[in-house]
Amino acid sequence: MKKALLSLLATAAISTTAYDASAQTQTDARVAVAITETISGYNPYADPVVLLSNVWCQVYGCVTRYDFDRNEFVPYLAETVQSVDPLTWEIRLPEGAKRHNGEPVLAQDIVHSIDYLGKNPSSGKSYLVAGWSKVEAIDDRTVRITTATPDATVPDNLAGVAVTSKALYDQMGEAMFRDAPFGAGPYKLDEVSIGEHIVISRNDGHPMLSPNNPTQIMYRIMPEPEQRVTALANGEVQIAQSVPPQLMARVADMPNAQIATTNSVEMMFLAMSPKTHPWDRKEARQAVAHAINREAIVRAILQGQADLLNGPVSAGQIGHDPEFTGTYDYNPEKARELLQSAGLEGVEVTLSTPVGRYTADRQITEAMVPMLEAAGFKVTLDTPEWATLWANVQQGKVPFYYMGRGSMIDPSRALHQYFATGGSPRIGFSDPELDTLLAAERAEFDPAARDEKMQAAVRYLVDAAPAAFMWQHKMAWGVSKGISFQPRPADQVNGWEVFVN
Amino acid sequence: MLLYSTRRLAGAIPVLIVVAAVVFTLMQFAPGDAVSMLISDEASDADKARIREAWGLDDPPLMQFLNFLGNAVTGDFGTSFKYKMPVMELVLERLPATIELALAATLVAVAIGIPLGVLAAARPGSLWDSLASTFSFAGISMPNFWIGILLILLFAGHWHLLPSGGRAPWGMGVEPITGFLLLDTLIQGRLDAFWGALKHLALPALVLGTNMTGIITQLTRASVQEALHEDYVMTARAKGLGGMRILWRHAFRNALVGVVTIIGLEFGALLSGAMIVETVFAWPGIGSLLIQGISSRDYPLIIGLVLIYTAIFILVNLLIDLLYTLIDPRIRIN
Repeated sequence: MKKALLSLLATAAISTTAYDASAQTQTDARVAVAITETISGYNPYADPVVLLSNVWCQVYGCVTRYDFDRNEFVPYLAETVQSVDPLTWEIRLPEGAKRHNGEPVLAQDIVHSIDYLGKNPSSGKSYLVAGWSKVEAIDDRTVRITTATPDATVPDNLAGVAVTSKALYDQMGEAMFRDAPFGAGPYKLDEVSIGEHIVISRNDGHPMLSPNNPTQIMYRIMPEPEQRVTALANGEVQIAQSVPPQLMARVADMPNAQIATTNSVEMMFLAMSPKTHPWDRKEARQAVAHAINREAIVRAILQGQADLLNGPVSAGQIGHDPEFTGTYDYNPEKARELLQSAGLEGVEVTLSTPVGRYTADRQITEAMVPMLEAAGFKVTLDTPEWATLWANVQQGKVPFYYMGRGSMIDPSRALHQYFATGGSPRIGFSDPELDTLLAAERAEFDPAARDEKMQAAVRYLVDAAPAAFMWQHKMAWGVSKGISFQPRPADQVNGWEVFVN
Repeated sequence: MLLYSTRRLAGAIPVLIVVAAVVFTLMQFAPGDAVSMLISDEASDADKARIREAWGLDDPPLMQFLNFLGNAVTGDFGTSFKYKMPVMELVLERLPATIELALAATLVAVAIGIPLGVLAAARPGSLWDSLASTFSFAGISMPNFWIGILLILLFAGHWHLLPSGGRAPWGMGVEPITGFLLLDTLIQGRLDAFWGALKHLALPALVLGTNMTGIITQLTRASVQEALHEDYVMTARAKGLGGMRILWRHAFRNALVGVVTIIGLEFGALLSGAMIVETVFAWPGIGSLLIQGISSRDYPLIIGLVLIYTAIFILVNLLIDLLYTLIDPRIRIN
């Protein structure tokens, strides 16, 4: 089978955002972005945080990227990415691709980058290249990847591969990241202040840029929401990430800023480990799904800033079926009946939740407790510190918890991780039929056919209910009226998508 | 004095070892896992095992601790799991920011607390006294993060007078010489940059100094009042000395030993408080670094920072002890 999935010219892929450079004067305006997450250093492979990974893609260039207008992965640094056969993918670099220092981008650089990601102890993203049995440079412009099993998620994984220079790494080692961060992306690295900020500046002449993209962008850590919003009001930043519901009205009232929202690609769910009692009974799991009044929580606590989920995915994600309206309406009587039919009325359960990790997580789970008790559960709410909860979840030690899972533009990796047999101990769910359905979607390279197979897996998963799917938060960003920026469903602020008015 | 200082510093070594041992032991028992926190949640068990080995986390705890101690003697506190940089390098990069903030907060506290306390002591029961009491109790009881957010809202959000956070305006262009930004701007003759840095420092220093201001006000008031009832003050009055001279030259100077002691002790509390204030104001110091280290279970960073905090506390208290000899000629160090 030789089916090309991604054979678009890179220049065509970016044409939707590119402006006519000759018609406008280049802006010298700078834009500061207040962000929530960490800036852990110069190494582009060390930190899996989405926003930071995206900054590295702007500097070095990643092999692919997700085009939210086209709803598909398109080449970024590459010219084409195609599947040659079910186990083989080929990446072709464009003729004459150059780094910021004028050196050519070579196929050997991609091989080196993938090798570093997979094997170097400093890599925090080795999962991206797991299952790739061989990566080789065929010539200076062509890379061939051989996978152990058919894997339709390769273009998704390549979106996390920042292409660094093999020659510079061989010459300088790890110091290259700090002393010679020459990439081939639309922006250049200017400055990194660890744990504080990162500054990138425009790589003039790059085809993705237009004259009114900012000349410099500073991503500045501001962990407190009040501070991000105040800095926006004060004109210290032009974009503020993650404005919580209670501060949205304040931003909307600002004369110099406004709110821009997008849906997230993060599913929020209640996980129930079938390895533990009473979650070994499907009736108990389904009772939870019927017991939670999600509409009331979204209305009262999240102030409407979330979209209800009928499964793990929503519109715009692979596997979303608009016809599938879900099977779990809010029905406390039915929940009680299910629990009674399993002889579990009055069963004691502990609901664990992070505090401050997700929007209103504690308030939401506090509201869930009486709903679950109305269905017949006896509930204890557990609120451990995030590091403790997360370590225990990863080891499969938490039977019932409220959690989110992001990076789900292509949900395959997440669904395999949480629900496939042996995917991870987090839920410990195992169902051969679901395994078959998930394996089938991953091996399907035709997008339409894959979508159908994913939909079948989602339907089966929802019925089996190892998790009760709750909602996706709407992500609110504060945006200065001096710029135009429409946030995307992933936490990304790409310079070429920010326009100075 | 040199011998005394050397002896005191030598005595600090066992203290530092004990602190390191206590922190290390606590972290062994603390729930959570550095590897889980610092690599992607999609990493496989094999990946985690590989990283655990690379970080030396699969060695027996005693060996991990002895390795740490052996390296620490040479000033090497290991490499941060999160930032992939030597801990010492990270600390030295950020330490000046915290010291600058702590010194500014101390200056705020001394500049407000001492005159207010002396004034209250000189006129007990007056409006000044009531004002000082109200102010100091409010300062002691209000949590830093709350005052911080309130002041950010007022000064940055409402009046647009001061920046909401950070240490310097973007693109200030001052080369780091000492790491102390105010000093560096002055050395380079950049008054515009000095003003910018001062505006960034104002709110965090005020917030961090609030608690200390309250304590200094109360202690100064009590100490000066006590001194005003001493025989030498009555003698001075009988000799016909002026009220202000008695207050500042005699009563206050004798009360100063207690005030300086509390400033030294409070400096330690100030460093702890800096963790919260630095987070609220996005101030790039070692306090916010420690918070990040704890939340990501970055063990080398945590131990390194706690040891630095301990060393600073020991040094400050040594300086205070040395200062006694200047304040009170009756005190001799031997």
